[in-house]
Amino acid sequence: MFRNNYDNDSVTFSPQGRIFQVEYAAEAVKQGSVVVGITSKKHVVLVALKRNAEELSSYQKKIFAIDEHAGIAIAGLTSDARVLSNFMKQQCLGHRLTYGRDLPVRTLVDMIGAKAQQNTQQYGKRPYGVGLLIAGVDEQGPHLFEFQPSGMTEEMVAFAIGARSQMARTYLEKNLELFADCSREELIAHGLKALKESLVQDRELTIENTSVGVTGFSKADDGSTKVEQFKVFDGQEVNGWIESVADDKAAAEGESMEVDG
Amino acid sequence: MTSIGTGYDLANSIFSPDGRNFQVEYAVKAVENGGTSIGIRCKDGVVLAVEKVVASKLLKQGANKRIATVDRHLGVVYSGMVPDGRHFVDRSRDEALAWRDTFKTPIPTADLASRMGGYMQAYTLYQSVRPFGITAIVGGFDSELELPVDGEVGSGPAVGAGGKTAGKKHGGPFLYMIEPSGLYWGYYGAAAGKGRQVAKAELEKLDLGGAGELSLEQAVKEAARIIYLSHDDVKDKKFELEMSWISGADGPTKGKHQEVPKALREEAEKEAERLAKKAVEGDDDDDDDDDSDDDKKDGDKMEE
Amino acid sequence: MDHRPQAWGRPRDDIYGAYDGSYLQTTGPKQNTQAPVVTGTSVVALKFKDGVVIAADNLASYGSLARFTDVKRLRVFLDTSVVGFGGDVSDMQYLDRHLNELAIDESYETDPSAPDAGALNAANLHKYLQKLMYKRRNDFDPLWNQILVAGLDSGSKPFLASVDLRGTAFSSPSLASGFGAALAQPIMRKYAATEEDAAKLSREDAVKVVQECMKVLYYRDARSMDKYSIAVVTKEGVELKEDEQLEKQSWAFAERIRGYGTQTV
Repeated sequence: MFRNNYDNDSVTFSPQGRIFQVEYAAEAVKQGSVVVGITSKKHVVLVALKRNAEELSSYQKKIFAIDEHAGIAIAGLTSDARVLSNFMKQQCLGHRLTYGRDLPVRTLVDMIGAKAQQNTQQYGKRPYGVGLLIAGVDEQGPHLFEFQPSGMTEEMVAFAIGARSQMARTYLEKNLELFADCSREELIAHGLKALKESLVQDRELTIENTSVGVTGFSKADDGSTKVEQFKVFDGQEVNGWIESVADDKAAAEGESMEVDG
Repeated sequence: MTSIGTGYDLANSIFSPDGRNFQVEYAVKAVENGGTSIGIRCKDGVVLAVEKVVASKLLKQGANKRIATVDRHLGVVYSGMVPDGRHFVDRSRDEALAWRDTFKTPIPTADLASRMGGYMQAYTLYQSVRPFGITAIVGGFDSELELPVDGEVGSGPAVGAGGKTAGKKHGGPFLYMIEPSGLYWGYYGAAAGKGRQVAKAELEKLDLGGAGELSLEQAVKEAARIIYLSHDDVKDKKFELEMSWISGADGPTKGKHQEVPKALREEAEKEAERLAKKAVEGDDDDDDDDDSDDDKKDGDKMEE
Repeated sequence: MDHRPQAWGRPRDDIYGAYDGSYLQTTGPKQNTQAPVVTGTSVVALKFKDGVVIAADNLASYGSLARFTDVKRLRVFLDTSVVGFGGDVSDMQYLDRHLNELAIDESYETDPSAPDAGALNAANLHKYLQKLMYKRRNDFDPLWNQILVAGLDSGSKPFLASVDLRGTAFSSPSLASGFGAALAQPIMRKYAATEEDAAKLSREDAVKVVQECMKVLYYRDARSMDKYSIAVVTKEGVELKEDEQLEKQSWAFAERIRGYGTQTV
């Protein structure tokens, strides 16, 4: 294999101005199983495909609650994700303790962005080998952010990262206009459908390999916001949703679905 | 790049025999791939603008800001690696805060540029770090008024606070551009990123500097026009234009760095789009000579 | 022999000579602020149906000397809350600078298209100040103030709360610091004893009650002044007037007061 002189560490630019170590870390994200996130005006959902190392082992968790109002879905190195997750939990708790409110989601995301950027500019450090989708609500509404190992963070309407996630993204792009006015259940259904697009042939969504995370908010009459606490659904809890997007069901619902899918 | 393979470009802070720091030059390459950003300093304010290439349809429109506020009266925009830009902004804010703590007054634009120039330069000095992959444009409006010393008792002394001389003009709009080497100059019109050469050629035509008559509102329109003109329709299809401005205390932003109001931006964009289309159809190859000339100057040599 | 209590158990000077304390350390342990120096007196505040009225006079005293007569003790935070400071003026200035920095920091993260959504409200600010004051007291370096925070909470309802140099925090439909706690509170409670009462109070009435309190305080508090600042916080924002004058003063009652000064009866 061609030996690249510029890819040994994250403090060396290539003559084209690229940092290969960061790009390689981004490859690690593509090794992780796919996760999808979508926002509507009132909700934000994360759905994920869980993997097991072998037939008899348990499935690796993919969606984690960070605070009452926020959660993450991960693709890549799980142990790196735990570092970021612990950091985010601490920041959220600290903010709640000093100000008595939810940490605004963008502020939270900027914090891990800054943290990850440091790892790309100093010798002896390595970039995080994990990508995140961060879902959360604050007073401005629901938010979905993508986090990359480079420290890049961007707010998305819907997004998917991980192995074969391009197919899920294509689904999301096709149905982009629909999401804003979706109900909570419809949004989850779209998430699962996007997830299915990324499945390997002959694989299906099951209650073992599917995980769903939801948070949302509603405005009360007095102008105050009520937050639906971020919750992760696994196992039997996701059965109904999986059935609602089963292939035979979607076909029976009419032609339009087939065209969209 | 004839020097590739000689080994002098494999680590930061290494001089090659002809006195170059290659890693800094490669960092400049990262900037040259980034979306165009420009700054205009006119008689009554500063405008910052940036072309944000929309890489995915799934991005939330208008949500991902690239121009940042540093203290109330300062704005920063950058081309190149966005996470590096965030780092630059965070540090700028820390500097502005530290200045307030020490001097009980907002940091002058020149001092922020100086401190951040020093900060960027420090990242060219050690093998343990890499240079910033950004060129940053810093715009600010230093107050022309006699500011009350922060938190003083009552209304304070009637004259003379802050070491200002009566009758002399203080403050005003300022613009600086800081390169990965840490090199920085003051500008009337500054441009960085992909479309900087087209942008520079256009900026040079504006009525700026000394007795320049361009007004802030005109500058907003010119900034929009220049971003649209420098945008490469063939390579990047869609982009978002983000603009901010800073006026004096008697101007539209009252001395604060703010996003250009939506109505004004859209008006400027409409006109810019029309002019850009016209330029494509018309003959515009007379700029080409300037381009090759600029290219040499752009080489980010640290001794410059 | 010396029989005073402070000499008990000590070697007698007439036998052993005076005690030589020269080898002892003359400096005590490190001490921070033990007392305020330049001070502001009461701050009074009252909730009404759409917001909060808050007032404080413009005096900073140096002991009993009326040292500075144009000190603004109401400070606006983010155009949505008002903080009223009683106690040490230099600590107030420190806090003012600190809150200014907090406001700048906060504005970095606010969405310019929806500046009202998600910014720190008065309830958040009060919680923050409470943590700050409590930490300083635990460091044995207190900020010598009593602070009233007036504004709106996350549900846009009127918010009023107090925090002092010990970090003690509480809330009430009406609050007054310093002398006002004794002189103004009973008056305000006549009009708004409970949250329900306050929710019925009109803005005009609330302003009148607070002005009345300022007058009573000027009559009775020797560290007060008749020039004052008053602010009204509502959903629409903050209206702050910093150059108000107490009107219709009547000192006739002073004639009847006995027992002070040079009077013989």
